[in-house]
Amino acid sequence: MSNHANNTAKLSLKRLLLANPWGFIVPFVTGVAATLAGVGLLGLSGWFISAAGLATAMGVGIVFNYLTPGAIVRGLAILRTAGRYGEQVTAHNHLLGLLRTLRLWVWDQRVAKESTDLNQQSRGDLLQRLVSDLDQIIRWPLVVFLPWMYAVLAYVAVAIFAFFISPDLLWPLSIAAVFHVLIVPWACGHIASHAVHVGQILGVHRRSRFVSFFSALITLTIRGRWEDYAKRLDQLDVRQKNAEIRIQQAVSLGRLFSYLVTILLLACSLYLLGTVTTETGRWVLNDGVQGTWVVGYVLSLLAVNELVLPLVQSFVAQGQSQVGLRRLNQLHQYANTPIDQTIPRIEQLFFKQWRGFYLPSRMGSPTTNIRVNHGESVWLRGVSGSGKSTLLASMAGDCLSSGEAYINDEKYDVCNNPSYQAKLSYLPQSPYVFQQSIAANLLLGNPNASDDQLWAALDAVALADWVKSLPNGLETLLSSQGRNLSGGQRKRLVLARLLLRRSPVLLLDEPFDGLDKATIERISHSVQHDYKPDILILVSHVGSRLGDNARVIEL
Amino acid sequence: MTREKGAKKTRRAGRIKTPEAVFLGSLANQQSAKYRFAQIAGVVFAVSLVLQAWAFANVFSDMALQQSFSLSLLVVGLLALLVRALASYSRERICTSASRDIRYGLRRNIVSHLTLLGPARLRIEEDAALSTRVYEQIDALDDFFSRYKPQVFMVTLIPCVILLSVVSISWIAFFVFMMTAPLVIIFMIFVGHKAAQANRRQFNVLAMLSNQFMDLNQGLAELKRLHRTSQARERLSNSAAAYQKTTMGVLVLAFLSTATLELFASLSIAMIALYLGLGLLEVLPWQVGSSPVTLTQAMFLLLLAPEFYLPLRQLGNDYHAKQKAEAAATDLLEILHHEILATPTHVDSATENDNAVARDHITSIRFQDLSWQEAGRYRLAPITAEIAQGERVWLSGESGVGKSSLLHLLLGFEDAYDGQFLVGGLPFSQLNLADWRSQLAWLPQTPEWINGSIRRNLLLGLGGKEGKELPNEDEIHTALKESQCDGFVYALPDGLDTKLTELGTGLSGGQMQRLSIARALLSKANLWLLDEPCSGLDNDTAQAVLDTLKRASKGKTLLIVSHDTHPILWADKHWSLTKGGLHEQSRKQHGEAIA
Repeated sequence: MSNHANNTAKLSLKRLLLANPWGFIVPFVTGVAATLAGVGLLGLSGWFISAAGLATAMGVGIVFNYLTPGAIVRGLAILRTAGRYGEQVTAHNHLLGLLRTLRLWVWDQRVAKESTDLNQQSRGDLLQRLVSDLDQIIRWPLVVFLPWMYAVLAYVAVAIFAFFISPDLLWPLSIAAVFHVLIVPWACGHIASHAVHVGQILGVHRRSRFVSFFSALITLTIRGRWEDYAKRLDQLDVRQKNAEIRIQQAVSLGRLFSYLVTILLLACSLYLLGTVTTETGRWVLNDGVQGTWVVGYVLSLLAVNELVLPLVQSFVAQGQSQVGLRRLNQLHQYANTPIDQTIPRIEQLFFKQWRGFYLPSRMGSPTTNIRVNHGESVWLRGVSGSGKSTLLASMAGDCLSSGEAYINDEKYDVCNNPSYQAKLSYLPQSPYVFQQSIAANLLLGNPNASDDQLWAALDAVALADWVKSLPNGLETLLSSQGRNLSGGQRKRLVLARLLLRRSPVLLLDEPFDGLDKATIERISHSVQHDYKPDILILVSHVGSRLGDNARVIEL
Repeated sequence: MTREKGAKKTRRAGRIKTPEAVFLGSLANQQSAKYRFAQIAGVVFAVSLVLQAWAFANVFSDMALQQSFSLSLLVVGLLALLVRALASYSRERICTSASRDIRYGLRRNIVSHLTLLGPARLRIEEDAALSTRVYEQIDALDDFFSRYKPQVFMVTLIPCVILLSVVSISWIAFFVFMMTAPLVIIFMIFVGHKAAQANRRQFNVLAMLSNQFMDLNQGLAELKRLHRTSQARERLSNSAAAYQKTTMGVLVLAFLSTATLELFASLSIAMIALYLGLGLLEVLPWQVGSSPVTLTQAMFLLLLAPEFYLPLRQLGNDYHAKQKAEAAATDLLEILHHEILATPTHVDSATENDNAVARDHITSIRFQDLSWQEAGRYRLAPITAEIAQGERVWLSGESGVGKSSLLHLLLGFEDAYDGQFLVGGLPFSQLNLADWRSQLAWLPQTPEWINGSIRRNLLLGLGGKEGKELPNEDEIHTALKESQCDGFVYALPDGLDTKLTELGTGLSGGQMQRLSIARALLSKANLWLLDEPCSGLDNDTAQAVLDTLKRASKGKTLLIVSHDTHPILWADKHWSLTKGGLHEQSRKQHGEAIA
C-alpha cells in the first residue's frame, strides 16, 4: 500500500528523474563515459599526430613513446562505442520502467475519482490524449536531461584540459559554456514555448472541430454551407502551421547561434594564446604554450560543438513535456478516504425523496420514494425518456443523486461506498466488455469460480451453446469493447458475470432488449431460481416472467 | 507488348516498391524544387567542410611544428565553419518548409476527399478515428520529409566529396574509408533489417499495451463496481513489466545497428590516427624511415575522418522516421483509395439551365432500370420505381443490398450508376445540385450535431445566404412542439441554449432524433431522407419517435430506410429491396401482410 501513498503526489519533472534513481544512474554514467571518450578521442588523436609530427621534425622520432597514446586512442574508441550502446540500452530500460510508473500513477488517480465523474473521462479521445502525453513525458530524461548533462560535463573536461594549457582560456570557455548550455537553449525554449503551448491547444481544438463539423457533413453540404465550415477548419490549420514555423525558426536560429558562439570561442582562444608579429603576418603562440596541446584543445572544442547543437531542440521538447505534465496533473486527485461503513444483511432498501441526474444538464429522473423489502422484485416502468435508467443508475451509485438512502432504516451513502457496492450488482444500459478472453471477463465477477460455475452462469443467460460453438470456447479473445459481439450477447455476457457474484441486490437495466422470447424466458428463470437475489430492481420495456412476478412502479 | 515487357523488366531490376514508398515519393516530388535547393545547400556544406578541414590542418601543423600559424588561414577556416553553419541552417529551413508544405497540402487534399466521399467516408472509419488520420498520421510524416529524405542525399554526397579530396593525399586513408564504408552499409542493412523487424514488433507490443491501458480505463466504472481495481492495477503493472523485459531483449539487438556504426566510426578514426601517427614517426613496419604523409595532410585526414561517418550515423538514427511514415502512409492511402463516386463539377455546369422544376417542388422521382455494379457484381440490382410528391416510402432489405447507396444517390454523392434517375422528368445530371440539395433533409442513424447550443444546431446551415431569413423564435417553438421536443428542451435549465458537445448532454438517443425532426421541419425541406433513424434506440423509444415522425412528416415526400424490426406502418408504400431487385407493396397489401 505504500506504493499507493507514493503515487498520490502530483507529477513533476524532478519526480520523474528521481522515480528510479538507480535505474537512471547506469545510463547516466555510461553516457558520460561515452561522451568524454568521444571528446577525448578527437583531442588525443590531434595531440598524438601533431606530437608525432613534431617529434620526427625534431629528430627524436625514435624515442617518442607512441605505444601508450596509441593504446589510449584505441581504448577511447572502444569505450565510446560501448558506452553509447550501453547508454541507449539502459536508458530505454529506464524509460520503460518510467512508463510503467506513470501508467500506474494515472490509474491510481482515476481509481480515486468518484464513479459519478468517471463516465465523462472515459471518452476515447481523452484517453488517447492521455496515452500520447505519457509517451511524450517519459522521453524527457532521455531527450532533454541526459544530453544537457553530457554537454556540461564535456565542457568541464575541456576546461580542465584548457587550464593546463593556459588558465586564461577559462574565461572565454566559461562564457561560451554559459551561452551554449544555458542561455541559448533557455532563450529558444522560451521563445518557442508560447508556440508550443498554442500548438498543443490548437491540436486538441482542431481535432474536436474536425469531429464536430464532420459529424454534420451531410446537413452542411446539402444546405450549401460546408464551404464556410471547411474554411474555418482550414483557419485552424493555418494557425497551427504558423505555430510550427515559429518553433522551427527558434530551433534553427538557436542552432546557428550555437555555431557562432563556437566560432567566436575558437577565435578568442587562439587570440589569447598568441601575439601577432607584424612583419610576417603570422600569429605566434606565447611562450610556454605547447602547439601540440593547442591542436588537441581546438579539436575537442569541435567535438563539444557537436554535443551542444541538439540542446536547442531538446529544450523545445521540454516545453511539450511540460504541457503533457500539466494535463496529466489535471487528473490528480487527493486521496479521498472511501466511506467505511459495514452494511449488515439488507432487509430493506428505502430511497427517500430520491432523484438521479447527470451533469451538466441536470436532466434526470423525477423525485420519488421507493421502498423495497428483502425477497421482493420491483419493475420500474415508464414512457421513453421518463428517467428510469437514470433512477436505476443513481441507486447503484453510478450517477449524481439527491435525497436520502436508507438500509434497514439506517442512513447510508450510496456514492463512493465500497461496502454498499459489494452488496450490489448493476447491469447498465451499455455494459462494458473487456478486451480479454470470455473466461477472464467472467472471472472478474468471481475470481475463484471454477469452469463448471462459469459454464453454469453462461447457461443461465443462454450463451453456453454459443460459447461451445466457438473454436476456442471460454478462451476466445473478445475484441476491443466487445465489438465482435452483438448488443444482446454483450449484455448477456455481462449479466453472466454479475450472476457469478451472487450479490444480494441485483439492478438490471433493459436486460432483454433485442432478445427473443425463449432467451428472455431462460434468463427470467435463472434470475428467479438458481441465481435469485434478495432484492431485484428491473427496468425494462419488454414484458417477461421476471416482470410479471414483480411489483410494478410506474414513473 | 514490347513496352510492357520493358516496363516489367525495369520493375524487376529495381527494388520492389511498395505503394507506400511510391506514395511518399510522389509527395516528395511535389516539392522537388525545394529539395533541389536543399541539395545545393548540402553541396555548399560539403565543400566548406573540406575547406575548413584543409585550413585547420594547415593551422594545426604550423602550430605544432613552428609554434605559429598564418592568420589568413585561420580566418579561412573559421569562415568555412561559418559557411557550414549557414548552409546547414538554410538546409534545415528549406527541408522543414518543404515538409510543412507537403503535409498541409496533403491534409487539405484528404479533407476535401473526405468531404466528397460524404456519407461513404464512414465505411472507412468513424469521424473521431478519421481525425486521428488527418492530423496525427499526417504529422507523423514530418520526420521523413524534413530529415530522412534530404539525409539520403547527404549520405552519398559527403562520403564522395571526402573520398575525392582524400584520394590525392593518402592511398592508405582512402582505402580505409573505401573499405569501411561498404562494410558499414552492409552491416547497416543486415542489422538494420533485423532491427526494423524488432522495431515493428516492439511497435505492435507497445500498441497492445496502450490498448490494454485504454481498455481497462474505459471499463473502470465497471471494475469499480466489481471491486476489481486492484487486480486490474496488478495486471497493468505485470504486463508493463513483462513488456519491459521482452522489449529490452529486442532493443539490445536493435541498438546493435547504431553501435556498429559507432564502432566503425570510432575505430576508423583511431586507425587513421594511429596510422598517421606511426607514419609521421616513420616507424610504419613497411615504411620505416620515411613518412607517407606530411603533418598537414595527416591533420587533414584526421579532421575528415569523423565527418565521413556522421551522415550515415544520422541516417541510422532517422531510420525509424521512414518506418513511421510508411505506417502512416498505409492509413492515408486507405482514405485516398476510396473512390469518390460523384464528380462534384458535373452538375454545376448546368447551373444556367432553367430548373424551376427542382427549385420549387419535387414533382416526382423516378428510377428507371437503375443499378450499380462493382467489380462486375451488382451492388444494386436494376430497379424501376417512382415516388410521387407527398408520398412516404418505407424501404427495407438486408444489409448490403444497396439501400444506403440509394440514399447517397439522392443526396448527390453517387453518380456512377447505370440506367436512369429522373426528377420531374429531367435526368438528375441536368439539375442544379445546390438547388436540389436545398430541398433535402437528412436524418441518419446518428443524428448530425456540431458542438454548440441546441439553437445553433437547429438552425445549422439555415439562413445567412441569399438573404434567406433565419426562422424566428415562434417558428422554432412550433417546430419543437410538432416534433415533441418542447417537453424536454424547455425543461433544461438553459433551454435552447444548452450546449451539445462531444461528451453529450445527458439527452437520450430518442431525444436527439426528435431534435433532428425539429431541424428538418425548420429547414422547410420537401424531401426527407432517413437512414435507419431508429436502429440505435430501444423498441419503446423507437416506436415513440416513429409516431412523432408520422405526424411531423405529413405532406412531405419521405424515403425512410428501416429494418423490419422497426416497421413503418403508416408509409404509403413499402419497398422491399433484395439482391434480385425491388418489390413494391402498396399500403393496403402491406397492411394485410402485417395482419
